[in-house]
Amino acid sequence: MGTKRIVVDPVTRIEGHLRIEAILNDKGVINDAISSGTMWRGLEVILEGRDPRDAWAFCERICGVCTTVHALASVRCVEDALQIKIPKNAEIIRNIMFLTQFVQDHVIHFYHLHALDWVDIVSALSADPKATATLAQSVSPGKHNATPGYFYDIKNTLKKFVDSGQLGLFQNAYWGHPAYKLPAEANLMAVAHYLEALKWQKEIIKIHTIFGGKNPHPNYLVGGMACTIDLNSDNAINMERLNMVKDLIDNAFDIVENMYIPDLLAIASFYPEWTKYGEGLGNFMSYGDIPQTNIYDKSSYKIPAGIILNKNLSEVHEVDQRDTGQIQEEISHSWYEYPSGADSLHPWEGETKPKYTGPKPPYKNLDENNAYTWLKAPRWKGHAMEVGPLARMLVGYASGDDDFKEVVNAALGKLKLPATALFSTLGRTAARGLETQLCIHWLKQEYNRLIDNLKLGDTRVADTTMWEPKDWPKEAKGVGHTEAPRGALGHWIKIKDEKIDKYQIVVPSTWNASPKDAKGQPGAYEAALKGTPMADPDQPVEILRTIHSFDPCLACATH
Amino acid sequence: MTDSPKIITTYDVLKQHGVSRRSFIKFCSMTAAALGLDYTMVPKIVEAMETKQRIPVLWLHGLECTCCSESFIRSSHPLVQDVIFNMISLDYDETLQAAAGHQAEEIRKKIIKEYPGQYILAVEGNAPTKDGGVYCTIAGESFVDILEETAEHAYAVVAWGSCASNGCVQAAAPNPTGAQPVHELITNKPVINVPGCPPIAEVMTGVLTYILTFGKLPELDRFKRPTMFYGQRIHDKCYRRSFFDAGQFVEQWDDDGARKGWCLYKMGCRGPMTYNSCSTIKWNNGVSFPIGSGHGCLGCSEDNFWDNGSFYNRLSSVPLPGVESTPEEIGKIAAVAAGVGVGAHAVSHIISKTIKNAKEKKAESKPEEKE
Amino acid sequence: MGDVVQPINPENVKGNPHEYFRRKYVWSWPIRIFHWVNAAAIISLFFTGLYISQPQLAPAGEAYNNFVMANVRMIHFASAFIFVINFFWRMYWFWMGSKYARSGFPFFWKKSWWQDLFRQVMDYIKLEKGHIHMGHNALGGLAYTFGVIGLGWLQILTGMAMYSESNPKGIIASLTGWVIPLSGGSFQVHMWHHLFAWGFIVFSIIHIYIVIYDGQVYKNGLVTSMVSGVKFYQEGDIDRDDWLK
Ligand code: HEM
Ligand code: HEM
Ligand code: NFV
Ligand code: SF4
Ligand code: SF4
Ligand code: F3S
Ligand SMILES: [Mg+2]
Repeated sequence: MGTKRIVVDPVTRIEGHLRIEAILNDKGVINDAISSGTMWRGLEVILEGRDPRDAWAFCERICGVCTTVHALASVRCVEDALQIKIPKNAEIIRNIMFLTQFVQDHVIHFYHLHALDWVDIVSALSADPKATATLAQSVSPGKHNATPGYFYDIKNTLKKFVDSGQLGLFQNAYWGHPAYKLPAEANLMAVAHYLEALKWQKEIIKIHTIFGGKNPHPNYLVGGMACTIDLNSDNAINMERLNMVKDLIDNAFDIVENMYIPDLLAIASFYPEWTKYGEGLGNFMSYGDIPQTNIYDKSSYKIPAGIILNKNLSEVHEVDQRDTGQIQEEISHSWYEYPSGADSLHPWEGETKPKYTGPKPPYKNLDENNAYTWLKAPRWKGHAMEVGPLARMLVGYASGDDDFKEVVNAALGKLKLPATALFSTLGRTAARGLETQLCIHWLKQEYNRLIDNLKLGDTRVADTTMWEPKDWPKEAKGVGHTEAPRGALGHWIKIKDEKIDKYQIVVPSTWNASPKDAKGQPGAYEAALKGTPMADPDQPVEILRTIHSFDPCLACATH
Repeated sequence: MTDSPKIITTYDVLKQHGVSRRSFIKFCSMTAAALGLDYTMVPKIVEAMETKQRIPVLWLHGLECTCCSESFIRSSHPLVQDVIFNMISLDYDETLQAAAGHQAEEIRKKIIKEYPGQYILAVEGNAPTKDGGVYCTIAGESFVDILEETAEHAYAVVAWGSCASNGCVQAAAPNPTGAQPVHELITNKPVINVPGCPPIAEVMTGVLTYILTFGKLPELDRFKRPTMFYGQRIHDKCYRRSFFDAGQFVEQWDDDGARKGWCLYKMGCRGPMTYNSCSTIKWNNGVSFPIGSGHGCLGCSEDNFWDNGSFYNRLSSVPLPGVESTPEEIGKIAAVAAGVGVGAHAVSHIISKTIKNAKEKKAESKPEEKE
Repeated sequence: MGDVVQPINPENVKGNPHEYFRRKYVWSWPIRIFHWVNAAAIISLFFTGLYISQPQLAPAGEAYNNFVMANVRMIHFASAFIFVINFFWRMYWFWMGSKYARSGFPFFWKKSWWQDLFRQVMDYIKLEKGHIHMGHNALGGLAYTFGVIGLGWLQILTGMAMYSESNPKGIIASLTGWVIPLSGGSFQVHMWHHLFAWGFIVFSIIHIYIVIYDGQVYKNGLVTSMVSGVKFYQEGDIDRDDWLK
């Protein structure tokens, strides 16, 4: 048989340590793939016995790329367990921080982690700056600096950089690979925006700094937020701080609407074949988020919760994180054991006990018939699920939400693609952009809601009635969920005698990068790689494209 | 691209970017200012930038959260693109590099071979040492091995963040993977610890630019931290210090004191125990820092900061086996016990004395009766 | 002067030769000064320390008008330096003073010391009068060694280490900075310093009680001895400081 096994390890331009092994058939098409998370830190173990009010800080360190989302899920699970309802301002500020994170993370992902899969840096050297300016102006009339001079400078910069012989981050890559389809001018434009986005991302996150004191890893608080608001104080969130937030939002608006979205659509239009590859599971899940009243009121979410099975957009199933029969994690292909002997456990009963059975390093290959990863395999009612921007866009779209329908239809119209094109690598990448577009609009709305509430004279940001552990029940359990940039995120906690008794985390990338389960159902990465033809197995651009379309975060996934 | 690598200096690169000599000198003086140096050092910086090829940097990721990278790219002065494209040659960094798989690993091996003793090894995260290093592997190799292999020929090792400098979250009790900071594993190379979870962006770029411009390592303290950024505690430079000195403290989240910006000491602030530049340089180009936004410092640049009990308590439980109490509680109990002890002794002394006296009286009166 | 024995009341001597009280100058002035400076410093350190640990009663008004914490800390540090100088002064006097200045030391290499220790413990337990000492009895000495010298060192090292943190390049830091990594960080140093502070309270309670008790039982004028320097004894009592030379 003419099969060939290729290994991509490390998969770069992601967060964390991911290994992909793909088995190609004799036509160079991927037949099967395994996705392996090759690091584990043991946060769930480390959290046991600690003060639940501290958990957010530990959890936040699960990942610095999606920083804040674990802190958010964590404070929510503790608040759920202790039945704390946070003040309205705190809910809105958390929404603002949430949306800020989405916008920043998605833009970084597009330009700095994903773009080089589509953009050939070297080809940009032969671009004509004038033609590039014309192209840039046509794709984005709203962008102000798209002049020939600007692109001339960028090209020059790039040329000297390449001439220096020290190619740094860009060396030894797949430049000139036949899978790169962009004209030189589009490549140059993308290089310019790579640099612009790098410069800009450090601005938007200042919103986190204002409310949370720093980014990465801003501070959260069980019961609300620590950033006191007092419009008459020079030592609290006041008008100057709020104005800065507003400015940063406006600035983000410009970057997303006039740079990211036009670039995304322009690049996508050159790769229509990538609407055919990378389809994946066809099952999608969203926990929903951005509550307009409070997190316990799912009907008030801006991002709806729900599940789509088998690409059937006419039915949205309900997801319940408390139902012990719905979400479960199993470990038949994972380096763990369940001391209880169970096959599969709901997170409230979850167990984390490592048991490495893989090959001793250094090793050449993993064995797909045995355990091969540090990820557990989460399943919803036994189904493998894809989570993330595409899942959210589809659930929102299928739920009939106007915001979602508008952006999806507009983009499909521009690209002249049917809705089914979304079930693909390119669909995933596009969904991330469309979501960002929604997010900047929501950011403005949330900012205005904050101001409106402040106008009513309500400046409270923290509820401290349950702050003291001595007031807690002897035992309590809670679940905190959010939508992280990469998808549905849940933290489950059990508190006993003022301490964490059990803490289980099920992360978006755990869903997407999960290994096969006992029934042999693959996770989303593995499923999406199947059927992809590879032009040159030694230059795995195709694998990178599909895997990057999920925006992997392995530190998250394994935790 | 070119087969014969010629020496292209940082100044060449800037020149090719259209930077005039005047603005180049200005750039150097600004670098000096950012590093806290006086103007007499400017010619040295100029010379360094004019004569040196960009130093290769290999940036490894072990057990970590990639937040140090995220922080690094937030640098405002110098801008991160200036650092990674003009000042250094960031040859290997899984998070950002274009190449993947064996092409990526080839770069690492090539730099080790072609630039022995000349490249900087930057490490984010740390190495699990338990069970043969299986808790972190890259390209099938254990991270411990990769770290040792790459450090072997490095000019110096920069340990980014608390993970690399002191272990951080995965080394918190019970440290399930046996995670160890870099300086525990690499002992034959200069290691610079740049702690913080993550460190401030400008601190990170400041450390790198210092090495590049002066061609030597910055002054380090006994924890191998650059004194220029870790020479003082948060508390010594905190803008809420006047409230601390006055005795005015936030007693509860969102209370009146909080609105007035009073000191967060009683909310568990670790500023008095933490060496970092947060209260001077601040975060994200000076916008704020944890205390500036109402939450106490977690002490994120200090050794062991995860295992000091709740972040919201000023003092932890006494770390003795079987003890779950604060020094205050233990002290009070011991004092009461001592009081009860001496009280009991006094009472029994009085009782026994009374009995003895009574006996003596009897003994004295009896012979009288006989007589 | 320490060994000068003189009658205290010639009348008594005449009338009651069997109750022939004698007085002996035991605590020379350096010891008495040390003692009371030490006691005062510890009281000051303990209460200022408690405030530092848990500041109460925030002053009203602008911060720039108030220096409550700053002043309390200043008093703590001033007391600390007095405590330290006094402490070292006593160390010095250990060699320079009379044999009674040395009597608090655990002479654990001498059999007679162990015997005295055992005797003294039994006496206190049996609530009985035992043997007379002019200097410290072995048990008392042991208590001072642990309760004052030992705790003193711990408190000085942890205190100085914390104090040095505002100037990590300074002399104090180079002398005591090692305490911080050894304890597992500054946070732990605070914790230990705070715990040891209570050690002084426990010591003081027991100490003051024993002084009064011992004075009562032996009628040796112990309570006033730390003022006047003089202890009393009766004719026929044996000086049991026999391990002292
Ligand atoms: C904070 C309170 C106190 C502390 C820390 C303290 C400490 C000490 C120390 C260290 C010694 C040994 C002296 C030496 O060998 O240099 C001592 C002895 C003595 N102290 Fe105190 N003292 C305190 C309070 C008092 C008070 C209130 C009295 C009197 C009522 C007192 C009476 C004495 C006496 C009589 C001795 C000699 C004891 C002996 O013969 O064993 N002390 N004390
Ligand atoms: C009998 C001796 C002493 C007692 C009872 C005592 C007691 C205390 C207590 C209870 C604290 C509060 C600790 C906390 O909660 O963080 C404290 C803090 C402190 N003490 Fe002492 N102390 C003593 C001696 C010393 C000495 C000799 C020094 C040397 C300089 C010293 C320096 C300090 C410092 C620097 C602090 C920390 C102040 C701050 O964090 O602002 N102490 N002390
Ligand atoms: N997967 C994941 Fe995260 C995200 N988004 C977490 O919840 O990236 Ni680090
Ligand atoms: S030091 Fe903190 S921020 Fe940096 S990688 Fe480690 S956990 Fe993340
Ligand atoms: S807020 Fe923290 S660092 Fe600032 S003065 Fe108060 S205790 Fe010190
Ligand atoms: S938590 Fe860390 S970021 Fe600075 S203020 Fe404290 S050292
Ligand atoms: Mg988990």
